[in-house]
Amino acid sequence: MELILYVVLFAFIFEMMDSSAGMGFGTGLTPLLFLIGYDPLQVVPILLISEAVTGVTSGIFHNEFQNVKFSIKRPVNKETMIMLLIAGIGCLAIFFSVILAYYSLKFPDDLIKAYVGILVLFMGIIGLIRLKQKGRDTYKPKLLTGFAALAGFNKGIGAGGYGPVVMMGQLFSGVYEKTATAIVSLAEGFVCIVGVTSFLLISSYGVTIDYVLLPSIFTGGFLAAIISPYIVRVLSNNIWKLVIPIYAISMGILTLSKVFLI
Amino acid sequence: MKEINLQQDEYPDEIGSIARMLDVEMTALERMKITRHNLTRVSFAVIFYIITMLIFSTQL
Repeated sequence: MELILYVVLFAFIFEMMDSSAGMGFGTGLTPLLFLIGYDPLQVVPILLISEAVTGVTSGIFHNEFQNVKFSIKRPVNKETMIMLLIAGIGCLAIFFSVILAYYSLKFPDDLIKAYVGILVLFMGIIGLIRLKQKGRDTYKPKLLTGFAALAGFNKGIGAGGYGPVVMMGQLFSGVYEKTATAIVSLAEGFVCIVGVTSFLLISSYGVTIDYVLLPSIFTGGFLAAIISPYIVRVLSNNIWKLVIPIYAISMGILTLSKVFLI
Repeated sequence: MKEINLQQDEYPDEIGSIARMLDVEMTALERMKITRHNLTRVSFAVIFYIITMLIFSTQL
């Protein structure tokens, strides 16, 4: 086992942003590791395993630092209901996408990536425009269900962008920024557990997973999953209101640049 | 650290009422303070990390 320092650093930075702004671990880190020269079977399952652990860890620490209050006992509160809704749709979507991949059913890659890039970019811009709006939106559960379904559809067809769409969708539906981040982090953890299970099932059919990056990505990601909820707590929500849409715009641009430049 | 223990039904239409109350009622400096409970949780996480890395070092 060896720790690759620059991979630890990259994992730390992208997990910090993922646990603070609710998006970017997969979208940001995957192309970077591909550019360095790692291949998909060294990167994709390892990111899923790492995000499964760091997502749940981040959710626990968001709860610990009171960015959210998840309830295990019945009746579960609204935050927990939203998390279960987002995680449930995400789990179905990732399972569906693995089945599609197994049967080699593939949608035109560039087209769906461009669609998600434009969608995320557009949502980020709307998020910035909404900053001018006075007061807070009331919670709109139907709208949130719609966004969760849209994000699930995107993930199901293999287009990615799940984090940005559910994150921005929550904000448009009236969820408080800090709480939205916490909900997405825990939901993504559960979605990645299903993703890991699917990958392990595939590996039992002869696909070999290379674990060389696991200790490094786990180390950087795990450290960030503890620190990030604390930073979310300390900094004012007004900062996150600005950071989240700007980061969504950069994720949209990154997705589009992967289509048109790489 | 000042603990905010709001009942959710005090803010029936608002998601994230506790985080919002922390922002409204505490300064950033007050929000920086960490409790013994926080430290205990962090200690558990560190122990989990060490055990996981020990497993990696023997299995990978």
